[in-house]
Amino acid sequence: MLGSALLPPPLPPWDGIHPLIVHFPIALLLVSPLFVLLGFLPKVGRGFALAGLVLMVLGTIGAYVAVESGEAGAELVTRTPEVAPVLQQHRELADTVRVLFTVLTAVWAVLLFGPALLKNKKLPAAAPTVAKIAFLVAYLLCAIVLANVGHLGGRLVHQYGVQAWFDGK
Amino acid sequence: MRTNERVPVLAGTSMFLAVVLSAAVSMGQETRPAKPEEKKEAGMTTTLDNLVTAYNGESNAHARYVEFAKKADEDGYGQVASLFRAAARAEEIHAETHGEVIKKLGGTPKADLRKPEVKSTRENLEAALKGETYERDTMYPDFLRQAKAEKNRDAVRTFNFALSAETEHAKLYKEALDNLDSWKGGKKDFYVCPVCGYTVVKVDFEKCPVCSAPKDKYEKIN
Ligand SMILES: [Fe+2]
Ligand SMILES: [Fe+2]
Repeated sequence: MLGSALLPPPLPPWDGIHPLIVHFPIALLLVSPLFVLLGFLPKVGRGFALAGLVLMVLGTIGAYVAVESGEAGAELVTRTPEVAPVLQQHRELADTVRVLFTVLTAVWAVLLFGPALLKNKKLPAAAPTVAKIAFLVAYLLCAIVLANVGHLGGRLVHQYGVQAWFDGK
Repeated sequence: MRTNERVPVLAGTSMFLAVVLSAAVSMGQETRPAKPEEKKEAGMTTTLDNLVTAYNGESNAHARYVEFAKKADEDGYGQVASLFRAAARAEEIHAETHGEVIKKLGGTPKADLRKPEVKSTRENLEAALKGETYERDTMYPDFLRQAKAEKNRDAVRTFNFALSAETEHAKLYKEALDNLDSWKGGKKDFYVCPVCGYTVVKVDFEKCPVCSAPKDKYEKIN
């Protein structure tokens, strides 16, 4: 019995994989600001800030995979009058979100490494705290947009019964 | 990396692994799909039969709309003629996508093309609206139910494409019928997705709302 439990489960096809993928970027991108915040701690701060960057990179890559697999899966969704507008909003907002987090990830990388790379040019060794606080505020606003994308996806599944399916073999 | 930097990096990595593992176990499995040959043996219609019916319907609709467009031009309803041409192109695309699935299932796409019955432009619009309404409300929903039960994703995809487009066609025909006089005169631009046949008056999106094809792929038809 344990033998079969140690075998990996079957992978759905690309157009059915969206539900498997989509929770990764949401979790990763929502947890990374916590690491950004811990980045303000003295001494250990920089390690947390770096961990935040790693989570953001993984989450953003996940967002691209989620959007692309979602587009494939959306072709299997029948556009009833109720489903069509919610699905369209979900797709458009998801497209926006991946762009937002690409920009945020790049900005956080610049804030972490930019000053060190430019240290010969008589700039401060670390990005000013005010810049990091402004980043955190912008990040939290984008996290709300991300939460709304997830909420729309949740409505499609739990309110309208939209499902990605595969034969499970 | 300094030792005090390693701890949080490790914390972040283990967080990632935890998410990976929990998501991997969250996928549910579904029951085995009913086999089409079992349905066939029981004298029931299969998705392949439905695809052949839909292929025939779309091919005939294409031929009918081409003739309706000529008649609309003769009657001075240039904008209605454009609409019929756009819808004809969409039906042609649906016939193509249905045909590909038929071939994939081992069948042969073959249409029994009938000579279109052409009447006045108003009557042609009424006939077209009736046809699209039937496809939207009855035919494609039934075919989709069966294709989903058979877990035939290719069939579901092509029926979804057609259903979305027919819904728009019905709206546009209704609009033309309600204001027929204002549809007189020159041509009108319509845009048709070459992948799914979705038909619109204005491309106000980045990607096709039905198949995600980029908006610049849309064909202008007038
Ligand atoms: Fe049609
Ligand atoms: Fe399309």
